[in-house]
Amino acid sequence: MIFEVLERSLQQPNRVIPVEALLGNCDGSRMPDVTSARLTPAIAQRLVEVCPTTAFSMGELGDRPCLKLSYAECIGCGRCEEPSEGAVVTAPRFTWCGLPKANLARLWDLESHTEITPPRPNPEMVRGQIRSLFGKALNIRQLDAGSCNGCEAEISALTNPYYDLERFGIHFVASPKHADMLLVTGPVTRNMAEAVKTTYEAVPSPKLVVAVGACGCSGGIFAGSHAVVGGVDAVIPVDGYIPGCPPTPAMLMTGILEVLRRRTVR
Amino acid sequence: MNENTPGAVPSGERGSGGPPLVLPRGKTESVARLVTVFGSLGSDREKRVHYVFDVGEAKYWETMVAASGPVRSIVPELPSAAWYERELHDQYGIEITGHPDLRPLVFHENWPEGVHPMVDAVNQVPWASREYRFLTVQGDGVAEVAVGPVHAGIIEPGHFRFSVVGDTVLHLELRHFYTHKGTEKLFEGSLVNAGAMIAESVSGDNCFAHAIAYSQAVENACRAEVPPRASAIRLIGLELERLVSHISDLGGLCTDVGFSVAAAYATRIKEFLLRASADCSGTRYWRGIAVPGGLRFDLESRKILGLSQAVSLAARQFADLARVILETPSIQNRFETAGVVSPEVARDLAVVGPVARASGIDLDVRRDHPYGHYKSAQFEVPVTHYGDVMARAKIRIKEAAISARLIQQIASALPIGSVLAPLELDGEMHGSSAVESPRGELYYWLEGSDGRLTRCHIKSPSFQNWPAMPFAIADNIIADFPLINKSFNLSYSGCDR
Repeated sequence: MIFEVLERSLQQPNRVIPVEALLGNCDGSRMPDVTSARLTPAIAQRLVEVCPTTAFSMGELGDRPCLKLSYAECIGCGRCEEPSEGAVVTAPRFTWCGLPKANLARLWDLESHTEITPPRPNPEMVRGQIRSLFGKALNIRQLDAGSCNGCEAEISALTNPYYDLERFGIHFVASPKHADMLLVTGPVTRNMAEAVKTTYEAVPSPKLVVAVGACGCSGGIFAGSHAVVGGVDAVIPVDGYIPGCPPTPAMLMTGILEVLRRRTVR
Repeated sequence: MNENTPGAVPSGERGSGGPPLVLPRGKTESVARLVTVFGSLGSDREKRVHYVFDVGEAKYWETMVAASGPVRSIVPELPSAAWYERELHDQYGIEITGHPDLRPLVFHENWPEGVHPMVDAVNQVPWASREYRFLTVQGDGVAEVAVGPVHAGIIEPGHFRFSVVGDTVLHLELRHFYTHKGTEKLFEGSLVNAGAMIAESVSGDNCFAHAIAYSQAVENACRAEVPPRASAIRLIGLELERLVSHISDLGGLCTDVGFSVAAAYATRIKEFLLRASADCSGTRYWRGIAVPGGLRFDLESRKILGLSQAVSLAARQFADLARVILETPSIQNRFETAGVVSPEVARDLAVVGPVARASGIDLDVRRDHPYGHYKSAQFEVPVTHYGDVMARAKIRIKEAAISARLIQQIASALPIGSVLAPLELDGEMHGSSAVESPRGELYYWLEGSDGRLTRCHIKSPSFQNWPAMPFAIADNIIADFPLINKSFNLSYSGCDR
């Protein structure tokens, strides 16, 4: 029997996707991107109206009207594409993973049709930096604070033969006491709030916390419910956010490595 | 008998000619299966309790009683109503008389007494610290093992309180609802078209089944006819979800007995399908596709054929993997006789889905209450009667193969035409619908007016099946619990909502 299993293993090609092809990949997530040149005040207004969460909102910068897109709230439903006359498309790449909350929102000046998002403190990872992340160890404890299980399904996928998170020395561990990083999904429910705090306290310092999914980043579609406290940062401090509903394994990997890089590559 | 007692009236006296709904225990064969019990508010905000039964011949039968005063419990006749009535008590503050256990179910120590979200305003609910009394098991050598809510793995939260003697479990008490998000309340006031997005977030790995059950309930309420192409594509999505779920479950079972090579194969096949799904529909789990009336956008026939080919390849690989798993002696040793759900328990607790079919209950919404494209589809419903982990594994293996065949059958003869029918949303609406999700019967019931929902109830298969878990684990060793739990594959979020 075991020989039959081994024979099958040997017949299988290597499925591991190179890290360069994963970083920034968001296939299957339907996260939105905005084409500045096509954006008009009327379209912007429609985007705000059609958005089921508050990902799109109107604001002002000085006296100029602007459109804000906060990825923390976006559930990738794609409903903003239809009324946008081509101004919103499914993002071909998505690198807003693992960033601090202040860097998750983008802004467009509606008069000059230009993006006015403040630049990120760190640009995207370059090859040398990726390499420098190898050879280190990171123990992750995943914590479900009330999620729908969509994020868990995608986090579990990180260990499959396509993504193989272990190649970076990253492991999922069973106890918060063994962990360097808490990967927290879901809106924090009232019934989980205490367990989330206790789990956070059980992780030895220094520790990293990553909020996963629209719910983890902001409460998502459950924001405002009487049974929900809010996003993860309503209960414990968060170092990086990974948007998406759910974020794909590639987005999760991008986010985890980004948080790791901010901590290790100075 | 109290005027507010549901059921318990023999056929004829009810006027509808339905079968007797509640008979003494022991004559359970002739009892209609309880589907769900839930509350709502009438136009004058009077509390009401709804009871839904499956009475056969493709019919769900619903009855309603006013609940301004106490309502008699139906648990003595129908134990499967136990959690539903506890939930009613929590959410609506409806007094239930004769219920054996009315401890809070949905709300924990932090929730103040006397606040009922489906009736009261819940904008600023203060934090309380109430006491919760677990059942105690006493006797020589009885020890308690408390597990959760945070578990050692990438899984959802819930609390298990085992009473053991040595390794053997005498009793398991479940304490769930850690992921309770007030979802049914969120539907209230929501636009009918936006409700599908809330439904998709009830149980993330069965999101398409939830979106379809919700959409069908709206379509039934509006008497809308979904275009044939849309219902064919819906069937493909539903069967793909079942296929992925069953492959993942078998892999999970292998993980729990330490057969990691087979588990890795299963994750590989699952990922292959999810990637094929993203290529076809733009989303790995078919989120944001189903809406009341049909589909939000059409999928290219060429891409659906591509998906169908991927399914065919995955199904072949999975069948091969399943054969290796089932022929492995150590797997047989662990799977067989573990976690038995007897047909009596299954019937008393009205379990659904693969768990029911593995315990001899021949029940499948796709066949018994056909909807959409299932009305014309040809498929078998496998049933076995051992009720152990092996039986549940075999049911899933067979169903996966049937799902794959259904996808290929439908994909090869896709109707053409539009995928979205217009909906007439003005005025009062009232509808319900059932879908066979990968975990079993999923039932949505909703009311609305002028395009907005006033109430939406979700009967999730996990809510129905969780109470059977303590029966399956009793007399097994505690180390087999993860395996038995996985063989049920219940959603915590779907149960807790």
